[in-house]
Amino acid sequence: MICKTEVCTDRRNKLKAITHHPYFGFFVITLLMLFVQFLRVVGVDIPNTLIRSFGITMIYIIVALGFSILLGYAGLASLGTAGFVGIGTYVLGYFTKNLELSIFLAIAVSIAGAIILGGIVGFISLRIEGMYLAIITLGLSEILNEVFKNAVNITNGTNGLGLDYSLVIFSKPIIVNHNTIFVFAAVVMFIMMILTLNIIKSPTGRAFLAMRNSTSAAQAMGVSILKYRLMAFIVSTVYALLGGIIYMSYISFSIPTTWNLAFSLNILAAVIVGGSQSIYGIVLGTFMIFGLNLGIFQQIPLFQENPAISVIFNGLLIVLVIMFYPGGLIRLVNKTYLKLKVFSKKLYQKWRVYRYGTDN
Amino acid sequence: MVPIIEKLVLPVAIPIYERLVNSLKTRISFNQELLPIKIENLEKNAEKKLKFLKLKHQEKLLPYEIKAGVESEYLQEKYQFELAKIEDKYYWKNRIVKARAARKGIDANQDLEMLEKSKQNELAGLKAFYYPKDKDIKSYEEAKEVLDNEYREKVAQINQKLVQDIEKNQTLTQNKIEKYKKSLKIFEKRLAIYTAKKKAKYQIDDNTVLSIEGLSMYFGGLKAVDDLSFDVKEGEIFGLIGPNGAGKTTVFNCITRFYKPTMGEMYFKNAYDEVVFLNNKKVHNIIKEGIVRTFQNVEVVWELNIIDNLLVAAHTLYRSSFFGHMFNSKLLRQEERVMRKKAEKILEDLGLSAYKFAYPLGLPYGILKKIELARTLMANPKLIILDEPAAGLNEAETKDLAEVIKKIRSEYEATIFLVEHDMGLVMSICDTVCAISFGKKLAMGTPKEIQNNKTVQQAYLGGE
Repeated sequence: MICKTEVCTDRRNKLKAITHHPYFGFFVITLLMLFVQFLRVVGVDIPNTLIRSFGITMIYIIVALGFSILLGYAGLASLGTAGFVGIGTYVLGYFTKNLELSIFLAIAVSIAGAIILGGIVGFISLRIEGMYLAIITLGLSEILNEVFKNAVNITNGTNGLGLDYSLVIFSKPIIVNHNTIFVFAAVVMFIMMILTLNIIKSPTGRAFLAMRNSTSAAQAMGVSILKYRLMAFIVSTVYALLGGIIYMSYISFSIPTTWNLAFSLNILAAVIVGGSQSIYGIVLGTFMIFGLNLGIFQQIPLFQENPAISVIFNGLLIVLVIMFYPGGLIRLVNKTYLKLKVFSKKLYQKWRVYRYGTDN
Repeated sequence: MVPIIEKLVLPVAIPIYERLVNSLKTRISFNQELLPIKIENLEKNAEKKLKFLKLKHQEKLLPYEIKAGVESEYLQEKYQFELAKIEDKYYWKNRIVKARAARKGIDANQDLEMLEKSKQNELAGLKAFYYPKDKDIKSYEEAKEVLDNEYREKVAQINQKLVQDIEKNQTLTQNKIEKYKKSLKIFEKRLAIYTAKKKAKYQIDDNTVLSIEGLSMYFGGLKAVDDLSFDVKEGEIFGLIGPNGAGKTTVFNCITRFYKPTMGEMYFKNAYDEVVFLNNKKVHNIIKEGIVRTFQNVEVVWELNIIDNLLVAAHTLYRSSFFGHMFNSKLLRQEERVMRKKAEKILEDLGLSAYKFAYPLGLPYGILKKIELARTLMANPKLIILDEPAAGLNEAETKDLAEVIKKIRSEYEATIFLVEHDMGLVMSICDTVCAISFGKKLAMGTPKEIQNNKTVQQAYLGGE
């Protein structure tokens, strides 16, 4: 029997305040990620590729979060994500290998760079909208890709830049354990989720949404289009560069062919498949697009021999989701949750009739 | 030498001082609005604590009361509660037995009798526990004194702390406001000196809010608005009418700076009684002066609920920066509380409280129009510009809307300027009507005068 005295309800309310806290879900996701790593540390035999796929997915979640602010909230389409993530990786590479400076300095410098880069793209977005903006950012990304290929001094060209797991935390390069970076990535993902939620629930997020619905109405309500378009691009660029830096510290290898159009499209697909306006949706979408492919498909021989199958799977997924769930897979999850709730209630009713008989 | 320096410095200094003065004014009003919310919260917390404390105290006193046989209110309540619990338990047990018997086709009487017996046993036990035969009054009185004293002390502590907290908050807020007021005085004095030096301000008539002189807007060869001049007086409902394509919406868009007029000047007396030259303002800064507009087809944000939709319009009133938003700073949380309270009050005034947490998708059109009106009120408007408020509404909804518009005018002391096709609405609520045709003014006056005006009739119905 459920206790209904005031003392009990008070205790229950305290528990509710924790579990219903907006950050609780993010905390659970981060804990789940860390749990996988913990199992490995304890000694459970988990394949290396599976752990790696989790790590990479976490990094891509950070990038996708930035992209969702741009696409889902500010309503701006961009295909330049790959170039920005690439810049992040090479900034860390240059700072560690050539300058031997701290990773935190690299993060600070890349944030400053992101503000400039995002500002430039934001200014472009004032004149150009929709598909044309996507094409322009795609062009920018391709230019960056060419730069990666040809600036051999910094990027080591098409051979790719490797760091051999050495990182400069404070002053000298040291070899860093894989597992530590995994934990670092999880913590950064947790923080970025919280920051994203804060932004989208704040007046800034509301201004983004107003701008997405109608620019003229937003202006009439005091939202400066220039300011908020710049802000959206800057935020998403900062997220992308941060993702790049963590990618480089985790994988320790960056090659220009990774940062091509396919990567930008995959991030776009992850955001659309998951649900562009839900943080949980983005986590789900990134797992569907990247995690499944890296963690499961690449283990199966059939998929190893024909890598095109996973591309076909992604394409099919996008088509199905856009046809049946325009709000993203998170809608499906929510719907099934509600249906389960109704179903369990019905089941309970049946059990009740069986046990207690009908009422009067 | 001095005039040159003044020429260089003044254009920079005046806007800076204006901004300072405005921000100080918003700070003062913000703190004034925040104080009652803070006090309310403190009182709520104290009340909760007191309630809990009382419960604990009674719980502690209960065993002594039982021993002494004192029938206090709490004891009776508790006894009744336990009694009800037992009744409930046996009610369900009976049903289980009956249901099982019905399922298996057995006679349930024996089991039911057993249950009845054990129930009587339990009830007797409960009564024996709560009303024992041996009484011990002495220890009860001692314990009661100690516990009562403890309880009274704690209550006094909480009350004292509440009073202290309230006083502390009040003094803090007052100090803040006084500080702001002091610096406000200094800045205002400086500003007055500077503005006096910088040639005469823009002048418009005393009780005029908006003054438009010689407004013209050409789209290529088309003269959408041609040399239009009129004044909108303070606190009136001003209607702009005209046949299709007369340029009404163009006038609107010129005032709210969506279009840049070809010629003409527009002056506006803002919330601080300063006359501003609207031609120099940017679109998104118009709302800061106190001009808010609605749109012909409702422009709400579909992804946000109604109260958040109202908060969008309060965008310019927030002082917290982007980093404050990112890290959910204390200032932002306070501001959100103040704004939410304000939004709730406005919704209640317009009779929309029921839709507070609803999403606009699927709401009737009339309600959405009212929500747009409510939204304009969030920005402390001086002039509300309504673009065809009755478009798409049925007769009952239009009547309702007219009431709401009148209410807004009287309660929020805003001037209302509307463009409308529905002549019934215009003639029933407007104080002054201006009729235009092909961008030119035909006539201006009270609704009756306009109705009887020959040129207006001609423009609407065609020549003889």
